[in-house]
Amino acid sequence: MFGIQRAIARSSRPAFRAAAVVRAPTVSAIRFNSGGAHAHETESYESFNQRYQTFFSNVEDVFELQRGLNNCFAYDLVPSTSVIEAALRAARKVDDYATAVRILEGVKEKVENKGQYQAYLDELKPIINELGVTTKEQLYNL
Amino acid sequence: MSLSRTALRAVRSYSTASPITVKHSTSNSSGSLLGNVEVNWASRSPVERHEIYEKLAEIQKQDWKALTIDEKKAAYYVAFGAHGPRQAVNPPGHSIKILVGTLAACGAAIGIFGLIRSSAPAPPKTMTKEWQEASTEMAKEQKINPITGISSEGYAGKGFVSA
Repeated sequence: MFGIQRAIARSSRPAFRAAAVVRAPTVSAIRFNSGGAHAHETESYESFNQRYQTFFSNVEDVFELQRGLNNCFAYDLVPSTSVIEAALRAARKVDDYATAVRILEGVKEKVENKGQYQAYLDELKPIINELGVTTKEQLYNL
Repeated sequence: MSLSRTALRAVRSYSTASPITVKHSTSNSSGSLLGNVEVNWASRSPVERHEIYEKLAEIQKQDWKALTIDEKKAAYYVAFGAHGPRQAVNPPGHSIKILVGTLAACGAAIGIFGLIRSSAPAPPKTMTKEWQEASTEMAKEQKINPITGISSEGYAGKGFVSA
């Protein structure tokens, strides 16, 4: 009932006002540094993680997995644990143990310090134990 | 494919009654093959490498918790080890070698320079301080360059003294 009232009130506004309201969203305040040449340039951290989580859960072969990892780890951010977990599961799915180790190695490269890496490992402990993945440090006693 | 081939081999061995060699597909028999993959990977032939690669792919299909440390290391090395495009451009100890070589070359250059200098004749007598001071005195006595130079008023330079 209130909705209807509001709709009526809105429709009773002058025409030029309504036109301005409709046009407003098309003028974006977001500035594309590349002029829009790069996809996902302005996406948020959450949507980035969502995108790669979806990608890794749909991976079918080693090539796709490694291609996705190359892209995912190319950003100036560290993918969330949910993305890493999806990637580890993808590695299990395509039966590539080496890539699973490499994923954790990639996380180590991306984080800023050892504390953050350890935090990632702690957070990922369930999946690491479930799949039986070892880190490179454990493999080579580093 | 390989299954049918083994079946065929089995049939053939039945008919000829030759001793049957059993090849285990489990990892234990491949222990010696995978144990030192990292050491002699470079010296193996491409055929052998492919063999190891396929064996590892097969091993990685089982539960990862059941893998031995050698199999894990071998799988990691074959996929991401320091060979092929991941091989270091310079061998280990390369920068130390460069540093030592550069210092040795600089030292040798300084040594040769000192040696040549030490066997050089003494500087001429006109380069001694006494001679140069005497030259300045003489220039002032003879009023050389009286407007802007050595004999001018308020001259503060060293005259002919070079050092």
